[in-house]
Amino acid sequence: MSVPSSRTSLTRLAPWIMVLPSVIFTVLLIGFPIVYVIYLMFTKWAPGSSFWGLPFVGLDNVKATFKDVLFWKSTWITLKISAISLFFEVVLGTYLGILLSKSVKGIKVLRVLFFFPAIVPSVAAGMVWVQLYDPSLGFLNYVLQTFHLPAGTWLNDPESVIYALSIVDIWQWTPFIAMIVLGGIQALPEDPYEAAYMDGASKTQALFYITLPMLKQTILIALMLRSVDMLRIFDTIYVMTQGGPINSSTSLNIYGYQQGFLYTSMGKASTAMLFLLLIVMTISFLLTRWRKRYV
Amino acid sequence: MNTLTAQKSAQSSVIAVKKTWKSSLAVYIQLAVCFIVFVFPIVWMLMSAFKENVDITSYPPKFIFSPTLDHFRELFVSYPFGKYIVNSLIVTGGSTALGLLLGVPAAYGAARYGLQWTAFLTLIARMAPGILFLIPWYVIASQLKITDTYMTLIVTHTVITMPLIVWLMLSYFQEIPKEIEESALIDGCGPFRVLWQINIPLALPGISVSTALSFIFSWNYFLFSLVLSGSNTTPLTVAAFNFIGVAAVDWGGLMAAATVITVPVLIIVALVQRWLIRGLTSGAVK
Repeated sequence: MSVPSSRTSLTRLAPWIMVLPSVIFTVLLIGFPIVYVIYLMFTKWAPGSSFWGLPFVGLDNVKATFKDVLFWKSTWITLKISAISLFFEVVLGTYLGILLSKSVKGIKVLRVLFFFPAIVPSVAAGMVWVQLYDPSLGFLNYVLQTFHLPAGTWLNDPESVIYALSIVDIWQWTPFIAMIVLGGIQALPEDPYEAAYMDGASKTQALFYITLPMLKQTILIALMLRSVDMLRIFDTIYVMTQGGPINSSTSLNIYGYQQGFLYTSMGKASTAMLFLLLIVMTISFLLTRWRKRYV
Repeated sequence: MNTLTAQKSAQSSVIAVKKTWKSSLAVYIQLAVCFIVFVFPIVWMLMSAFKENVDITSYPPKFIFSPTLDHFRELFVSYPFGKYIVNSLIVTGGSTALGLLLGVPAAYGAARYGLQWTAFLTLIARMAPGILFLIPWYVIASQLKITDTYMTLIVTHTVITMPLIVWLMLSYFQEIPKEIEESALIDGCGPFRVLWQINIPLALPGISVSTALSFIFSWNYFLFSLVLSGSNTTPLTVAAFNFIGVAAVDWGGLMAAATVITVPVLIIVALVQRWLIRGLTSGAVK
């Protein structure tokens, strides 16, 4: 950028004046809490105790957390629900994205309507799905019984609750992935298609040999965005089951919430949340590396 | 010879038309199935909100019914839902405004002066679980006795809105060619005036999308208010959630409450839909 010759100090400082408020905000509200959580991990906090000078307990909180069966169960639940949901969201999202890229009449309106699940507040989505899942009055079991299929137990059974919650997440976020895929398709060049059709390729061949390979990068980015959110799943579970029945849908985030705000065990909550942060960072690091190496 | 090619091309064009007709029918069938799966629950919610309780629990489910506003009336008469809406508007409006105030200049500074690392810094909020911040915030806020205040909720919700705005606006400012502002800078226009009088007007579509999206995200965000709000500041999401416990089998009331939270979001999306999808996915596609 060309530099004006007479630079006042205000001009020189301008970039920093623009950027610093947001940096200070981030340090105060995000950076400092992370440091303080590490402090809480090694101390004992009780309701009403002061901010600093908490009794130091060494690794007690960490040991207690790592010995807690529920902690490991929550870790497993988090990974399981994430894997199931992400798999279907990516597969169905790619399919829906391709479907929405077709130029048929009314597609622009449909694109907006299909986007609705992603922007409906999770609390509202949870409430609706609680109703749909209701074992005796819910709409889903009505449909199943109409087709003479066995009714599901959905949220009420420790065996099925994870899958029921996955379905809600898949419903909510498949359209989001579809929109990212749609954006990716719209950015694709046309030449490969023209060449392929000249050579007599069918539409299916074009899809599998041109579209999907060129979309890999986009799909991986969508997967990364989603996995970061998915591993921290909280709202839907908290609204629909609060972690139950018998803790069979307690994700790590729910575990952290319960330990911290129900049992006021901030040390365990802090340990669990730092552990979750580690998982999120590791998985997004692995996905980034994978993206760079193989795509 | 000439007639032959004409015939041939006529034939092939007929085939082409036939093909597109068939393939668009196939597309419509697939779209219809997907539409039922993805949009039906929302339609169900809206429908149930206007049904009498008898109709909601009727078996088989009723699709034709005489609508009633009773559930909505109940929300506003028996429960202070009007107050909850005001609370939500204050928190959402406040955190969107604060997010814009902090985020727009930050995005411009980061985009123009090579300070991208500052924008990166805000991304920590996207990675860390919300409860991680919430633990210290709760400890501090209860020590300072500032839980259940609008200020606390606005500031904490800005952790959601500000990074979103920074990242959306970063790409918008990067797209504005530098040449436009260079002459103004040479004429002695200060960097703040360049931002205010040249870049912000040019980035207005981006600012509308950022405003809409951060409004939606803050409106929908549940966790921080769940812990930090109290009887004075309960926003809609938390009120609707508490309602599940209060009115355990009042499905109509529940669906009306869910509708009240959802409709503002749907309206915003309908208003800015043209830019919204592009805005939300632009960062991801590049």
